[in-house]
Amino acid sequence: MNSLRLALHRSVLLAAPLLVSVAVSAAQTSTSGAQTRNGAGQSGTIVRKSYPPALVESGGSLFRQDCSFCHGRDAGGGESGPDLTRSKLVTEDVDGDKIGPVVRNGRPDKGMPRFDRSEQQIASLMAFIHTQQNNALSRKGGRKGVDVADLQTGNAQAGKQYFDGAGGCTTCHSPTGDLAGIASRYRGLELEEQMLYPKHAKSRVTVTLASGQTITGTLAYLDEFTVGLIDPTDSYRSWRTSDVQHKVDAPVNAHVELFSKYTDDDIHNLMAYLQTLR
Amino acid sequence: MNSLRTGFLLAVSILILMAITLPGTLLAQGVDAQTLLHPPADSWPGYHGDYSGRRHSSLTQITPQNVKNMGLAWAFQTDQTAPIKSSPLLVDGILYFTVPDNIWAVDARSGHQIWHYTYPRGQGEHIGHRGVAMYKGYLFFLSPDAHLLSLNGKDGTVRWKVQVADVTKGYWTSMAPLIVGNRVLVGVSGDFDNLSGYIRSIDPETGATQWQWNSTPPAGTPDQTTGGMTWMTGTYDPDLNLVYWGTGNPTPVLKGSTRPGDDLYTCAIVALNPDTGKLVWAFQVSPHDTHDWDAVETPVLVDGDFHGEPKKMLMQTSRNGYFFVLDRTNGKNLLTAPFGPVNWMLGVDKQGRPIPNPAKEPAPDGRLIAPDEGGLTNYRSPSFDTRNGLFIVDAHPSYSIYFAKPADGVYGWAGADYGVWGKGVIEAIDYQTGKIHWRHEIGPESGAGVLTTDSGLTFTGDGHGNFLALDSSDGKTLWHAGSGSQIHSSPITYELDGRQYLVTSSGGVLFAWALPQAE
Repeated sequence: MNSLRLALHRSVLLAAPLLVSVAVSAAQTSTSGAQTRNGAGQSGTIVRKSYPPALVESGGSLFRQDCSFCHGRDAGGGESGPDLTRSKLVTEDVDGDKIGPVVRNGRPDKGMPRFDRSEQQIASLMAFIHTQQNNALSRKGGRKGVDVADLQTGNAQAGKQYFDGAGGCTTCHSPTGDLAGIASRYRGLELEEQMLYPKHAKSRVTVTLASGQTITGTLAYLDEFTVGLIDPTDSYRSWRTSDVQHKVDAPVNAHVELFSKYTDDDIHNLMAYLQTLR
Repeated sequence: MNSLRTGFLLAVSILILMAITLPGTLLAQGVDAQTLLHPPADSWPGYHGDYSGRRHSSLTQITPQNVKNMGLAWAFQTDQTAPIKSSPLLVDGILYFTVPDNIWAVDARSGHQIWHYTYPRGQGEHIGHRGVAMYKGYLFFLSPDAHLLSLNGKDGTVRWKVQVADVTKGYWTSMAPLIVGNRVLVGVSGDFDNLSGYIRSIDPETGATQWQWNSTPPAGTPDQTTGGMTWMTGTYDPDLNLVYWGTGNPTPVLKGSTRPGDDLYTCAIVALNPDTGKLVWAFQVSPHDTHDWDAVETPVLVDGDFHGEPKKMLMQTSRNGYFFVLDRTNGKNLLTAPFGPVNWMLGVDKQGRPIPNPAKEPAPDGRLIAPDEGGLTNYRSPSFDTRNGLFIVDAHPSYSIYFAKPADGVYGWAGADYGVWGKGVIEAIDYQTGKIHWRHEIGPESGAGVLTTDSGLTFTGDGHGNFLALDSSDGKTLWHAGSGSQIHSSPITYELDGRQYLVTSSGGVLFAWALPQAE
């Protein structure tokens, strides 16, 4: 721990009695019951750190230039970027250790560019984002975002019928198998997003070489020209698509098929049903 | 001294005088009205190339047969993390292009830097920059803090700077101005506050405002919308003397309760008289939008047959998922057809406008909407392939969930939306029917625009960062090159020294491509 961080921690401890508040909203951003955050107390009590106003102000200025178009001016979500005040990464960030690398490296897979920023600039951005999160969490209502309570309009029985019937969900899923306890792993908006389209689902691919040999693995890359997979020895291998045949097995596409068939009620009912799978 | 000799001397001295007082007229020409009306092959003098927005080039050196031999002529590294979203200008052998706060002048033959201008970093969104405009020898550049700068094309020195909007209210600027006659037309951005959009005409010599057209009433007008930002470059028909411009979404963005009715003139295509700034007609693409679907996509001008009749048409693939063909003399609708999944409307009204379904407005428990907020397409340029009669667009079939509740208020965003799924497809639309003639899957969404040429080529890019050359007749891939980053710009082409160049960009790098040079 460097001396700067030590000093910051001291100031947090001193300020703690003023800033303690119950982690009502933290659960909304977490995928599990366990809360971890900078300065977190033992029983879900979170100590909210305060930052020098000048640092927050300069971070806010930077944020409005580079970040606010996608993440919203108040960091509460914008055109394409997520609500940072409900971000798990922000919640778990300690003095920029998570935010800094994301800013510097970007998230190319999600369309976020990288930003070449100094230590001081990262520190100010981090201070602004945490301050916005603190403000948002300490405010009840009155802000945009999706609460778990918003997503309770469906009928679980109707959702089960859709799951077992028209939705065709049982082709791949089982409430006692892969989905057992799903509502304990995901909540609210995160659960709904997973339900509609699990972005991180893996596809399989089988490549047939000119020799007739076949290799099956996890699809790692595919464009018109190159197919790449992780083979059974965990090695990455690739071929020109013009040299081999390849067949992708992507069960996740069944989710895409449903988009044009769902009613909004179907979605709300399915949500109600999945929330019973604790 | 005889009179002949006197006359000769007089003529010489006049020429010398001209050379001294008008240095631009003898050597570097800059951009004059004729260049903009009829761009020579060795130029790309405006954002769209010519005034039509078709991005269709008459150059034919690179063909479907030889494009496989096309290779890198040069690359230029901006050494910036901001991706290039601009279309370069090419004037007198020099390329001018931008990222926020930066302009480069680069030799189009070699890719070496002539000068680099940096605007002092200030307030305002630095989300992207579409490029500069040129009039005579002067460049026009909009800054994130909503100022218009005029610079000398020769060295990038600033002539003057005027404010076009108040950054402290929430405006910013990112678009490439449009030069029409002696007017610099600029538009503004600003979605996070309830502000009025406008187009302003500015004198290229002095920076003085000539006129301003407001797309919406002043903020605070009861039951009226704000918004209608004007953040993309319009097109121009010199014969009709009309400028065509797309306007952005209304504000509050995701909530329509405080702005009942159609919310004119948001999400609309407007035709203005460039001499006066007066509205001649308007066609609203998304009445009462609640999904952030700016209708700023290029209004492409096409003359030709429509169902057996010669028409002056305007075509737009709009962010809301519909392809529109209008009669651009009067704004009457000729065709309205979706070009991908759309689920937010009840039908199409008699004027050809989609009718929004109130049940698909953002709601507290969420509504599944196609397309997503980024839309079925966005600022990336489409192209009209005059050879095959195809409107070719980089499309983004997609779904998202939209939320809004009373607690979200009625200011700025006033809701939340989350993309669920999407992909990228290059689509060639038959403009007479709206039917998709061919589709070319490009993986994830791409930010690459489209350029077509008379030789039958379509240049674009995929969602993995590959530049692509497709056969315009069937969409088959004829050439590709991995660029190493995401593509956020639209290609241009020109001919220099008898050699056709294609210029593309990805990340912070500009690439020039050409056929191998004969020794």
